[in-house]
Amino acid sequence: MESLKNKVAIVGVGYTPQGRIPGRTAMSFHVEAARNAIEDAGLKITDVDGMLTQPPGGDTRIAPWNIAQQLGLRLRFGSQQSAMGASAGCMVLHAAAALIYGLADYVVCTYGESPLGGGSGPGTYGGGRGDNAAFGFYGASGGYALAAQRGIYEFKTGPETWSEIAVAQRKWANLNPMAMMHDRTMTDEDYYNSRMIVEPFRQYDICQVSDSGRAFVMTTAERARDCRHRPVYVMGVGQDHPSTDIVQADFMTGPIGAKVSGEEAFRMAGVTLKDIDACEIYDCFTYTVELSMMGYGFFGPGEGKAFFANGRTAPGGELPVNTSGGLLSEAYQMGFTLLTEAAVQLQGRAGERQLGPVTRTKEPEIMLVSGNGGVLTTHSTVILRR
Amino acid sequence: MTMYTKPLPDPTIETKPFWDYCKKHELRMQKCAQCGHIRFPPGIVCPKCHSMEAEWVKLSGKGKIFSFVIFHYVYNKAFKDDVPYASASIELDEGPRMMSNIIGCKLEDIKINMPVEVHFEDITGEFALPKFKPELKNRGKNLKPTAEV
Repeated sequence: MESLKNKVAIVGVGYTPQGRIPGRTAMSFHVEAARNAIEDAGLKITDVDGMLTQPPGGDTRIAPWNIAQQLGLRLRFGSQQSAMGASAGCMVLHAAAALIYGLADYVVCTYGESPLGGGSGPGTYGGGRGDNAAFGFYGASGGYALAAQRGIYEFKTGPETWSEIAVAQRKWANLNPMAMMHDRTMTDEDYYNSRMIVEPFRQYDICQVSDSGRAFVMTTAERARDCRHRPVYVMGVGQDHPSTDIVQADFMTGPIGAKVSGEEAFRMAGVTLKDIDACEIYDCFTYTVELSMMGYGFFGPGEGKAFFANGRTAPGGELPVNTSGGLLSEAYQMGFTLLTEAAVQLQGRAGERQLGPVTRTKEPEIMLVSGNGGVLTTHSTVILRR
Repeated sequence: MTMYTKPLPDPTIETKPFWDYCKKHELRMQKCAQCGHIRFPPGIVCPKCHSMEAEWVKLSGKGKIFSFVIFHYVYNKAFKDDVPYASASIELDEGPRMMSNIIGCKLEDIKINMPVEVHFEDITGEFALPKFKPELKNRGKNLKPTAEV
């Protein structure tokens, strides 16, 4: 395959209010996030001719054409796309291909949902999965907990590792005024005192859900130079989808799709783990962060506790991870939360949580973004540079 | 008998034979006529060789716990009197894995790799659920069956 390296860039990100926000539809969050991303990139409405949309809970009504109507856009390139939590990374690859082959000039990628306010009822998170509901096996939490229990058995992971991840991310959220958990600190003790949801997971192993939207705009490297902010270039991308239900999965303890999609992305980017200044790792659950980083080769099975210890991934640490607070402590826009955070960090627009002197961390040049969906079923990896 | 209020299995054309056999207290899965692979969940082709010929063979009903979780949170209020309860991925002796519940032992005694055997629970006139209990010979002092789990 022809390399995509440095040929396309992320040039705008769009936020919306996030939290429990009654009176809003999921659709309205897609529209507002896309509007703000287009504005952020400094584009005119008529510039945008491509759109990829991840419909929440498979809602087919939330599609590029419906969003485009509300924004007054005419699309040459558009598709609904869902690889669940891996979608944002997959969209980077598909938007890149469309841009490089001239199928679109500017592609806006959108996500939004309103599970709390009731504007969309995908029921994804608490819903039973097929016949599993008859056995009381519910939610993404059930699936990831099943994998995590096997992880405890095979390589002695557990709350000692996961608490480090949850607490470090909360420290990042405490620096992020947009984060739902901005005003709430978390100690190790708080983690252990949080209630059991699906053993072995406590509440603080599990991400929140939120009413919100998030979007980003991509264009070619050439056009990117004329946009409002510094472009964030795509160095490498990869996908790997293990594609088996977790009940039958042979990857409960890894390697998950991070391994193969990571190898593909690193090969394309021409960099190694040592070149990564910070990571945004899909964190629907603490264990997902551990398995994903194992897959990339940051540490081996059973070495997670030592790796995360002493705030290595927290503010001031040597390898910052999930610098907005992530899904665990910022807000839940699936892979869009992580991808857009990497973009604003590389643009130097992250305020109090900005990597560099402000947070006593290395100023980032290259960042790794991991996306994971289903229950370890899909995976995408994106390597970005400023 | 009180009304059964929990979610029922939701058979598709592919999974209906599985549930029909469960109703007869038989655990059966599809065995590929070409390569002999036993597959689950049910499907129209063999994932190993893509043959579309298969036979529903009777399994021993024995296996071991591959992994399990304990639900404390009530996702569906029909389970509110059951929490905490265990759901598990059971690896059958013949190879396939399936979702089920562990019954007949204390939650703290449940361990990965513990040998278990199927026990059908008739829940309605239409359905029986294949649940799993510790194998009789392994129900020692530490694995006292409880009256109702």
